[in-house]
Amino acid sequence: MEPEPVLWFGWFRADIIAEYAPLFWQGLRMTIGVTVIGITLGTLLGLLVGMARLADARHAPARHLTRYLLRWPATVYVSFFRGTPLFVQIMLMHFAVVPLLMNPADGLVVSGELARTLRQEYGALISGVLALTLNAGAYISEVFRAGIQSIDRGQVEAARSLGLSYRRTMYHVVLPQAFRRMLPPLGNNAIALLKDSSLVSAVGLSELAYAARTVAGAYSRYWEPYLTIAVMYWILTLALAYGVRRLEHRYGRGDTR
Amino acid sequence: MPVLRLALLAAVWLIADASVQAQSRPLVVGSSATYPPFAYETPAKQIVGFDVDVIQAVAAKAGITVRLVNTPFTGVFASLDNGDLDLVISGVTITDRRRQSYDFTAPYFEARQLIAVPASSPVKALADLAGRKVGVVTGSTADDVASRTFGRTSANIRRFDTTPLIIAELVAGGVDAAIGDNGVIAYRVQEHKGLKTVNDPGFPREYFGIVVKKGNTALRDRLNGGLKAIVADGTYARIYRTWFKTEPPPLPTQ
Repeated sequence: MEPEPVLWFGWFRADIIAEYAPLFWQGLRMTIGVTVIGITLGTLLGLLVGMARLADARHAPARHLTRYLLRWPATVYVSFFRGTPLFVQIMLMHFAVVPLLMNPADGLVVSGELARTLRQEYGALISGVLALTLNAGAYISEVFRAGIQSIDRGQVEAARSLGLSYRRTMYHVVLPQAFRRMLPPLGNNAIALLKDSSLVSAVGLSELAYAARTVAGAYSRYWEPYLTIAVMYWILTLALAYGVRRLEHRYGRGDTR
Repeated sequence: MPVLRLALLAAVWLIADASVQAQSRPLVVGSSATYPPFAYETPAKQIVGFDVDVIQAVAAKAGITVRLVNTPFTGVFASLDNGDLDLVISGVTITDRRRQSYDFTAPYFEARQLIAVPASSPVKALADLAGRKVGVVTGSTADDVASRTFGRTSANIRRFDTTPLIIAELVAGGVDAAIGDNGVIAYRVQEHKGLKTVNDPGFPREYFGIVVKKGNTALRDRLNGGLKAIVADGTYARIYRTWFKTEPPPLPTQ
């Protein structure tokens, strides 16, 4: 029983979008969810990795420890995740890394029925969030590194000579000033992550792009599904950009004279 | 303006490449080469398979030259629409819905859907898959069957781009079953220990056809002529035996 074609403006088959509406709503929720988790975890990871890349100590053995255990691994991590396509990272994560760790037959971390259940219910979500977080973390760590390095050395020297520890110097003096400068690039990264989440549809995560692919596959029509999700992504990025602008305004107050 | 010059150079390079391709004007054939034994890439980047042998034999009889382009299955129809491809031979099942938008040649292969499951699975038929996770290729016949049986927006249907991916997902335990065309599923299941195939006789008999743009009847008729000729002179049976190790079933001429 084919539904009657409903044409908007004479060419837009609205009925096929309506037919798959639950998939689009569920996709919208999934896209927002994955983006929020990715931004949150990615920012935390980025902060840690950014600080690790700046870690240094004056004397051995701490000097060597910071170099080999913090700076080098952090540099390799950032280089890999910025230097390879996100799509490749997602496929690698879902079909190679995660099955190695989590497999009903011989998973290294999880195996048996639990692995099967996890993979079936959350498999694509787990790999997608992992890949997006690791990718965003690499980019965001560079934002943090640049932000921290942009604060004049004199600020640190002044704070240290006042007797503040390294940690308190970072927390009370450097990071608050750096954060203000980092907001615009962090906003860019958040918007990039929102859009990049569409790539996770390749491993079967039911987000917005997955809904569009499903409809395109069933009807061989491309305008309707992809225009629909384009508008939805656009609204989401507009909202995100607005939020970042509000934050910038709020934290930028100290700069106005 | 070194940046501008570089961009210009890149553009010229791309355009030169495109115009070289345009000169000889063979017909461009799209095929998703991740689909053994129908079409797949050898390590030397050559596209080989049953579909490839058929289209080359048909083209030779029809007096046309063809150039194969590896195109993801999800993109073959759009590429046909916008003129990037002249025809598609990629294990495309002839369906009434597709017939509304494209023209098909006479059938060149009889296909059925086949289910792949883990060897220990109790599944005996399509109906047993209700409530289980099923992997299909987006927009394929199996997607259509699963959508009609389990609901178009069911979360139990997991759609991927290619058959190897749904088999990989099955092996990793992400789905309970994978459904696809018999030739490909049988071929893939051989590669993996621990999988078996389930044949549901309820699946309708289907046929693969060569696809051309709607209204391109001139090309369709030439291809049909070629197809008839290779069936008549035994070339078709020879190709079929090469890839499926058995005699071909009779094809309807339609």
